[in-house]
Amino acid sequence: MVKMILYKEWLKTKGFLFGALGALALLLFYCLLSVIKTAQINGIETLWELVLEHNQVLVETLKYFPLALGALLAVTQYLPEISRKRLKLTLHLPCSQNKTVFVMYGYGLIVLTAFFALISIVIYAVLNHYLAAELVNRVFATVAVWYLAGYAAYLSGCAICIEPTWRMRAVLMLMTAALLLLLFISGTPEAYNRILPGLFIYVLCGQLLIFHSIKRFKEGLQD
Amino acid sequence: MGIYTPLGCSYLCKTLGTAMEPVISCEHLTHYYGRRKIYEDLNFEIAPGHIVGLLGKNGTGKTTTINILMGYLTPTSGSCRIFGEESHCISPITRERIALLLEGHVQYSYMTISQIEKFYSSFYPKWNREAYYSLMDKLKVAPGQKISRMSNGQRSQVSLGLILAQNADLLVLDDFSLGLDPGYRRLFCEYLRDYVKARGKTVFLTSHIIQDLEKLVDEVIIMDYGSILVQESAASLMGRFPGLTLEDIFIELTGKY
Repeated sequence: MVKMILYKEWLKTKGFLFGALGALALLLFYCLLSVIKTAQINGIETLWELVLEHNQVLVETLKYFPLALGALLAVTQYLPEISRKRLKLTLHLPCSQNKTVFVMYGYGLIVLTAFFALISIVIYAVLNHYLAAELVNRVFATVAVWYLAGYAAYLSGCAICIEPTWRMRAVLMLMTAALLLLLFISGTPEAYNRILPGLFIYVLCGQLLIFHSIKRFKEGLQD
Repeated sequence: MGIYTPLGCSYLCKTLGTAMEPVISCEHLTHYYGRRKIYEDLNFEIAPGHIVGLLGKNGTGKTTTINILMGYLTPTSGSCRIFGEESHCISPITRERIALLLEGHVQYSYMTISQIEKFYSSFYPKWNREAYYSLMDKLKVAPGQKISRMSNGQRSQVSLGLILAQNADLLVLDDFSLGLDPGYRRLFCEYLRDYVKARGKTVFLTSHIIQDLEKLVDEVIIMDYGSILVQESAASLMGRFPGLTLEDIFIELTGKY
């Protein structure tokens, strides 16, 4: 049954995922080509200087990609479910409703993690070639916040899509906007190091919002 | 004003014990959308093996009743039970016994004919693949055709094919005749009646097209704004209005629009 729910999610999202993969390839190519060109033309010391003196992370082009990926994946997965209230069909399937919902957003989290792992591997492979391990870690401490924004956008996006009333949707949107603002308020590398674990737990708590929206959907709440 | 004739299967249930436990029972069901009353103190039961039609004008609460029954709406007061379980927390085992057709024949339209069959078949142990594909053969659609690219009528038939293939004990069909042409509608009603009677299934349905229900339903529940007007066996109701069709009786009881 889990396999079939994953199959359903795959059918809904495969087109979007291939598109996102293509967009990511272009962004990574552009972003890392700039790094390689800078290193080759101006020398590796320029890259070090950019990271150390100018607080740059060299992969800023990717800054909003995880956020956009999370939000759009949530819409791709849940828009067909709420359109004509198809979610009723899903919740009528003969398996635990909590488990069904968990598998659905679990699929999304796995997809996001796969994308973020891919980004990390490619970035690491290039930056590790030019920068010291400490500097690579510095870049990744910043990129981790962007990933966190992606997970936050996804979990909140799921809850917003499922939520049956516009009033509550607006509240959820405001909460999400505040969280995302917090995550992008500082562009300084490692600015979030101290609060990153706390933020991670807070973002993961967004799962509760999905179950809250499902409960409200099942109660048949309307505007 | 109409007539309210309480019927249900309480007497039979008490006589025959749990073997005749009603498949569906709703007690003192009241629902309001905001301040707007949909109905008050609705009571009905559906016995196993019966085909019951819930009829009423638009906005009388037919779909609301189905939503409450399936656990997608919390009533203002009262309760419903399906196979003895509270409707707001139906267990997966019981959901396996219920085939649900949503209003508008809603399905996963991003799937193809074969994908949707593959998807549902894994959830239902009694799945009848032949029933589904024999219907699809009649539609002359390719297994790889996406449901979203089919006509409304074809989509309706796919939904009905999935419902029949599920081989469930209870079929809940919300406005099942929507989008079907008259010929297919009649054919489906005849097929459904034979299918249900041969296998001892129970059907609870709503429909806007009443003319086809005469030969299909055993019992009718006619709703008006706020309450049940009639809950009676179709034969008995027709007997009380000789010479009139079920549609005429419906108009007689509920008044013209």
